[in-house]
Amino acid sequence: MRGIVGVFPELDSTVEAIEELKKLRVGDVTVYSPTPRHEFDDVLKAPPSTVRRYTLIGALVGVTFGYWIPIWISDYWPRVVGGKPIASWVPYTIIGFEVMVLIGSLATVAGFFINARIPRITQTVGYDPRFSDGSFGIWVECRPDELETVRRVLKEKGAEEVRGDR
Amino acid sequence: MAAAAMPTPDPERRDNIPTADVQLPAVYSYTQVTDEILDTLKITKAWFAGLAFAVLCLAVGAAAWFYQIYMGLGVAGYHPPVMWGVYIITFVFWVGIGHAGTLISAILYLFRAGFRTTIYRCAEAMTVFAVMTAGLFPILHLGRPWKFFWLIPYPNWRLLWPQFKSPLVWDVFAILTYLTVSATFLFIGLIPDLAVLRDRETNPLRKQIYGVLSLGWRNSDREWRHFTRAYLFLAAFSTPLVLSVHSVVSFDFAMADVPGWHTTIFPPYFVSGAIFSGIGMVFTIIIPIRRWFKLKHYVTLNHLDAAAKLCLFTSLVVGCAYLTEFFIAWYGGSENEQAYFMNRVFGQWWWAAWIMLTCNMVLPLLLFSQKLRRNTTFLFTLSIFINLGMWYERFVIIVPSLSHEFDPWRWGPYAPTHIDWAILVGSFGWFSMWFLLFVKQLPIMAIAEIKETVPPRMRHATSRRNLDGHSETPGTIAANEVL
Repeated sequence: MRGIVGVFPELDSTVEAIEELKKLRVGDVTVYSPTPRHEFDDVLKAPPSTVRRYTLIGALVGVTFGYWIPIWISDYWPRVVGGKPIASWVPYTIIGFEVMVLIGSLATVAGFFINARIPRITQTVGYDPRFSDGSFGIWVECRPDELETVRRVLKEKGAEEVRGDR
Repeated sequence: MAAAAMPTPDPERRDNIPTADVQLPAVYSYTQVTDEILDTLKITKAWFAGLAFAVLCLAVGAAAWFYQIYMGLGVAGYHPPVMWGVYIITFVFWVGIGHAGTLISAILYLFRAGFRTTIYRCAEAMTVFAVMTAGLFPILHLGRPWKFFWLIPYPNWRLLWPQFKSPLVWDVFAILTYLTVSATFLFIGLIPDLAVLRDRETNPLRKQIYGVLSLGWRNSDREWRHFTRAYLFLAAFSTPLVLSVHSVVSFDFAMADVPGWHTTIFPPYFVSGAIFSGIGMVFTIIIPIRRWFKLKHYVTLNHLDAAAKLCLFTSLVVGCAYLTEFFIAWYGGSENEQAYFMNRVFGQWWWAAWIMLTCNMVLPLLLFSQKLRRNTTFLFTLSIFINLGMWYERFVIIVPSLSHEFDPWRWGPYAPTHIDWAILVGSFGWFSMWFLLFVKQLPIMAIAEIKETVPPRMRHATSRRNLDGHSETPGTIAANEVL
């Protein structure tokens, strides 16, 4: 058996159960909720998301590429028109901006997928379809000797269903 | 008299994604949200009839297009000096429609405007389909549409690249970026709702499809944490993007030395006009949806009231831009500009200019009345006038300018043909077809985000209060006031 999953109808009892599990230091806790709730972020003390790094790097790569392409092309066929510079940075800013947004957005999505670990082939272990509807859930991955403690905590805190999963 | 005590803001308070300024007094639980929104996916005869009509309109447009390919672009009424007509008018019209979706989903998200929560999915889908429709028009405008890939910026076999100083190349970059980012934004927001569909679906094949599309989403704390950040950054990217795209579209005109076009007011004028027209289309779509899908308690009169205020504001900006154009023509002292603007309101197409001014500048002033802002029949009727007025705005910008340039010997007439009108009808058929398919396959409201505005079930609390002590109790306003 890999762990225990508990289904909770109420938010506050879920938070209390997480606090108790954290206090007892048993297993790895994953919380499921139909909608993002900052109460879980507070109690889990999760580190800030690193998606922003992907966004920044993507945007920098994009803006560099967006400027580089037209500048390189202008230098590739250098033709002076009206005494103006070969590479005109003002109109190229439009290309730089659009490519920055494009690559930055796609990098953000990539960062989200990598950090959230999706796409995922299966979501059956420790998951219950009620978690996308109206119930909250706690999945605790723990050692076999901790299973009973976890089961007791989840029951005591108000889980409407507690079951083992592997 | 003692001063009323002001509530002190709690520094510990951390916002959820939306701050629920616009409450849903008749929505009580997460399950209710899931049930009622998924109920809208049931196929009805009326939906089939609507889809059949949309496909019929599309077929009319497609037939006209094939006829045009066979006969040549001349059948579309193009002859010098007017070589941009209904196709470019309709291209700008649809790009403009697309702007409200991003405004509502991204900009209002960053501003934490609560009224966006129940209408943004519709607006986002509208954006994607409107940009898909707009993207057809440069191709329809080609004499040899099978060479459309020449528009894409890549080098030819002589290693000659397109001219990156041309606004038409900027357009390609802007529109393709906008379509990609809008579609990505729509899809990322849909992932949690696709998981709801996957978990509720009983048909094995559909369950499998929703399972693949939801990417194995499980609603875990890790997924939500990164989802909210990614969504925020996508919104932050989309916000300047929406401003840039219609600015770039306006450069197609403003960079040309044509009376009525060569003006620095065009970028803000086009952006505000685009948002105005998009909000008009949102009303056209959302008012029937809330009625036919029985979602009046989600899109309440408060939501419509707030959106109507935005509509009024953008109308005032557009009106100011119209008047500024006339002022600058007079103040600038250019005889060509002055002649053009006189021709605009008293010349051959005077009626188009007055339709534009009436529908976009005068009629929306009625929205100063709160009673009318909360009257759905009025809002729907007004939205039709706004759509009409904004199409004619682009007509007024394009046709009179090209037909009445500097030298009188270059002046010439223009009249749209039945091919133009058929393709215009076809574009509405194309847009409606995609939208109708969308509303019966995917949730038209963001289930997960609406749930954030609904108080969760609590075990201990007697009143429905959030754990951080802030009331999220609905019902501080009576349901009958907003439905």
